[in-house]
Amino acid sequence: MSTTEIVETYTPNFEAWVSEFQEWQARIGFDPSWLGDYSFDIKFDWDTAGDTIEFGDFEGMPKWDRRMQVPQQNIRDAIISMVTVQGDTEFASVEQQHHLLESAPTEYDKKSALRIMCEEQRHGWQMAYVLCTYFGEHGVREAMKLLERNSLGNPIRGEEDRARILGSFNAPIDHWLDFFCFTHFIDRDGKFQLKMLSTSSFKPLAASMGPMLKEESFHLGTGANGLRRIVKQGLIPIAFLQKYINKWVSTGLDLFGTDESTSAQWAYVYGVKGRYDERESSVPADREHLNEESRGHYFKELKDEMVRISKPRKAGEPELYICSDKFNRGVGHHHGKRYDVHGEPFGGDEDGWLAYLDSVLPTDADEKKLVEEYLTKEWIQYREWKGE
Amino acid sequence: MTMLAYGLLNIDRERLKPFFERVPELFRNHHHADEDRAEQYEEMLYRISRPYSSNTLDMIDEFMGFQPRNWNSETEREVLLFLYAIRYPDTLLIESLTAEARSDVRRLSAYLHFIKHTYSIWNEDSRLGLEKLGIVIPSTETACPFRYGAYAASIELLKDLAPFHSFLEHDVPRQRLFQAALAAYGKEA
Repeated sequence: MSTTEIVETYTPNFEAWVSEFQEWQARIGFDPSWLGDYSFDIKFDWDTAGDTIEFGDFEGMPKWDRRMQVPQQNIRDAIISMVTVQGDTEFASVEQQHHLLESAPTEYDKKSALRIMCEEQRHGWQMAYVLCTYFGEHGVREAMKLLERNSLGNPIRGEEDRARILGSFNAPIDHWLDFFCFTHFIDRDGKFQLKMLSTSSFKPLAASMGPMLKEESFHLGTGANGLRRIVKQGLIPIAFLQKYINKWVSTGLDLFGTDESTSAQWAYVYGVKGRYDERESSVPADREHLNEESRGHYFKELKDEMVRISKPRKAGEPELYICSDKFNRGVGHHHGKRYDVHGEPFGGDEDGWLAYLDSVLPTDADEKKLVEEYLTKEWIQYREWKGE
Repeated sequence: MTMLAYGLLNIDRERLKPFFERVPELFRNHHHADEDRAEQYEEMLYRISRPYSSNTLDMIDEFMGFQPRNWNSETEREVLLFLYAIRYPDTLLIESLTAEARSDVRRLSAYLHFIKHTYSIWNEDSRLGLEKLGIVIPSTETACPFRYGAYAASIELLKDLAPFHSFLEHDVPRQRLFQAALAAYGKEA
């Protein structure tokens, strides 16, 4: 059990970054008045972060409170890289999603999405604060770059080459079905990443994770419950929804990175990033398959959640399912290979494969049908906003 | 309310640990003890919407298993206006109600919960659960604004102090999450 510290005063480095952040908000079209009385507090949960390095080659030594305590430059670089990637995703998701506020199906969904966007920005602030406060000029530069990359690179400003670091954070989120899928599948990946960093040997990073994880649970709940409300409403056929589920599963799985990752192994050796169940697990880590193990936990959770989401479907409708982890992968051993949604090798030719993909993934025609036919009706169960 | 919250900050935080470690399990034990009822609870969250009426109160009474209200129309009108006017976390407005309207804290808190989602349902087991955590709130049958206020503020405080593993991805307000977990905790010997 813990007490959260809210930082009251900022360093000049971070104050300068805050000015840049306000410009970023204006640039992407996020009106600060939407935030109401929400403030971007910097929160640390030092108690939960722990005092002693929990795994890796430095296990048992005191956790590092400052950059200069980190024994090697390559470890500092690994920490900066972790913080940067995490921060990059936080701002990217706001860039991808804020345009949806205008078309929210209910006031409840609009307020929920707005809360998520506020909290994602706060998470981005937190990561920028860690960079600016603990990593000197290098950190300041990386924090600035969090605001320079853009998920919707604007060619007029010559931003085509300044994409967000991770692929799925550059894909457009065009409608609310994708929003719910994104929050369910991709924010869930975020939860896994935050949990893996919550045991980090770099204490300010570990201490940042507790408050972020608390907030993330709402984001995941919004996604899962949104999908469940769609199923409950019963307007969009399950077979149609399944195509969107298929699309997002592989995206989420790919975010865990390559198989037999050496960078994951080094991060573990340094104690910078642990396993998802680092504190609960009683078995030694399989250091050569860290990404695979985390991905396995995620995959199991997706399956369990889909049973719950599928439960209120109409009588006679098939059950939604999570497709095989071999299907449509862009990363790892299954990348570039042809498997069907059940994980069986696909035996047909190129044309047959393309036709198969059209039958299991959303096509342009499906997108048109979704936007013009389904989303114009009562497609999701109504829920009134009451606040929490 | 604020004073009460400050008072609660003196609680023994070590004593909260065993409870927080078990919140997901305790929540399931209470809220999902009967799956149909958990489903009905969620239905209630969706079904209750403005304008509030006798029907709204009837639905809540039925779900909670209360005896039908034996209120005259004035009392009912008074409670409906109260439900429109009150803003979380205020509970002092309860004082303005007549004796009949606040004669049953369980009933009034259930109305508040299903209409606002932010207020917690008064439950004797949950109160005992708080007592096990060192937060002693006297039992009450009537809706005492101070006792119910302390109860609601205590659950709000638990939300603040809980570690992240206590927060489930679940389609229930967080007040319900902790109140239900407290009820299961309080029920244990």
